[in-house]
Amino acid sequence: MARKIVLCRCEDVTLADIEHCVHRGYLDIEEVKRYTGFGTGPCQGKECLAPVATQLAKLSGKTPAAIPPFTSRPPLAPTPIKLLANAPDAHRFEDDT
Amino acid sequence: MARRLPISDGARGDAVEIRIAETALRAFERESIAAAALASGTRVLSRSLKYHRPRTFFCLEGHCSGCLVRIDGVPNLRACQTPCAAGIEAAGQNAFPSAEHDLFGAVDFLFSRGLDHHTLMTRSSVLNKLANKVVRQLSGLGKLPEHAAHELPAVGERDVDACVIGGGPAGLAAATALGRAGLRVLLVDDQLRAGGSLRADPRFGSNVAEQRVANALAVGVEILGRATAIGYFPEDDGGVLAIAAPEQLVRVHARAWVWATGGYVVNLPFADNDRPGVIAARAVGRLLVEHGILGGDKVCIAEGPNLASEAEALASALERAGAAVERVPVADITGTRGRGWVTAVETPGGLVDCDLVAVAATPSPASEGARQMGCKVVLDPDAGGFKVVTDASGRTTSPNNVWACGDVTGYRGTESSAVDGERVGGNVVAALAGGV
Repeated sequence: MARKIVLCRCEDVTLADIEHCVHRGYLDIEEVKRYTGFGTGPCQGKECLAPVATQLAKLSGKTPAAIPPFTSRPPLAPTPIKLLANAPDAHRFEDDT
Repeated sequence: MARRLPISDGARGDAVEIRIAETALRAFERESIAAAALASGTRVLSRSLKYHRPRTFFCLEGHCSGCLVRIDGVPNLRACQTPCAAGIEAAGQNAFPSAEHDLFGAVDFLFSRGLDHHTLMTRSSVLNKLANKVVRQLSGLGKLPEHAAHELPAVGERDVDACVIGGGPAGLAAATALGRAGLRVLLVDDQLRAGGSLRADPRFGSNVAEQRVANALAVGVEILGRATAIGYFPEDDGGVLAIAAPEQLVRVHARAWVWATGGYVVNLPFADNDRPGVIAARAVGRLLVEHGILGGDKVCIAEGPNLASEAEALASALERAGAAVERVPVADITGTRGRGWVTAVETPGGLVDCDLVAVAATPSPASEGARQMGCKVVLDPDAGGFKVVTDASGRTTSPNNVWACGDVTGYRGTESSAVDGERVGGNVVAALAGGV
């Protein structure tokens, strides 16, 4: 293994990636998410959001309380799509029975 | 090497044969596939998405992506949340020819200083198209299932007075307090067995967890197990929490919501902190307490700030079980060594030999579901991450009668979370009785 400090194991985002991102001027947590892809894997940020936000506070000089979380969206955990197929408000096509 | 300790007959359930990576293993019905794999010497389960670094479980709680495997032809299932059953077949993902020996692991060395996909081969449009083709072949998680779902399950509904999300010490205590008051209570827990950190903490253990689960059931609490809250939909019938149970989606309506989701175990930043064998201290405790499996003979506890009592309890339990334990402050760890599995941690004073690293970091509040309900959270690194803000009674800032207790409001530990759950549960009872 090449020497890396991994903050997001789902998407292989390293501390160096976050530093690179901040260096390029992306300081908002949503920008960092979009630039690096952290928090977009199967864990959806469970393991990486707090460590990345904490590092971002350090690197950007902001107080932790000034760093908001990124928006959380359903599904919050990996979900088999078959569970959703019969939801009453699921979108139906006209030729569905 | 990990090994099963001699524990009472039957505690693991019946012996079954399962197959992992085309190798037959002896496992037990009460073990998860991840626990059985480790106890049998299977170490690397899959490869990471980008650099194809070796991956295995880290959290053992179904929250990280370390143990995603293909099981009986279905991709991306969590080995730590799938119980062993006779004839089950698990295979690694994202690797060629195998997770242990993956040729694409070369990507890690080719891009040893990192890979910015925004600027990867963007100077020439021809090269860029080629790069995109290659990357699309290489990336993605697993392959499609062999078969479509045989049947599409009907959707379940629950309408209760109070829905408690999380069946650890805080959630069990809150649900029991609510049930004792005669309210209809649904407790949603996402683990193989309810009990949360009680089942990973040597000071408590499975018997204490079973007792507290029994207490909740005795006052009429319904426990929905292996079920995860996947989203809140405020515009749907006055607010619906969607729960993914193993074979069914359940739509929950409730007069009050109590978030008791605890905290996610997280890693700490040191070089090669993702090496297989570096796992959460709570996972090491869970293996020992819940499964009777000693994760390693020489365990190095990478100790974060403010976790001395947890590290102490784990260290003495591991030592009683026959392991040598060394506690190293995480500030002293500069890296890890090993070919695949960890063999040592690097410190300024030299190498500390080990065959398992237990990372004791402050768990990160599992607050994303509460956030969807409109609860305010604030980043507090000492509390583990984004903690849910409550008033003194445990009520959050959400207008929907939403409460929170235990580690999701900032890390406080196992017993203190139970006390908090009991207290907040009582306050919810009072609020519901007052018609609030």
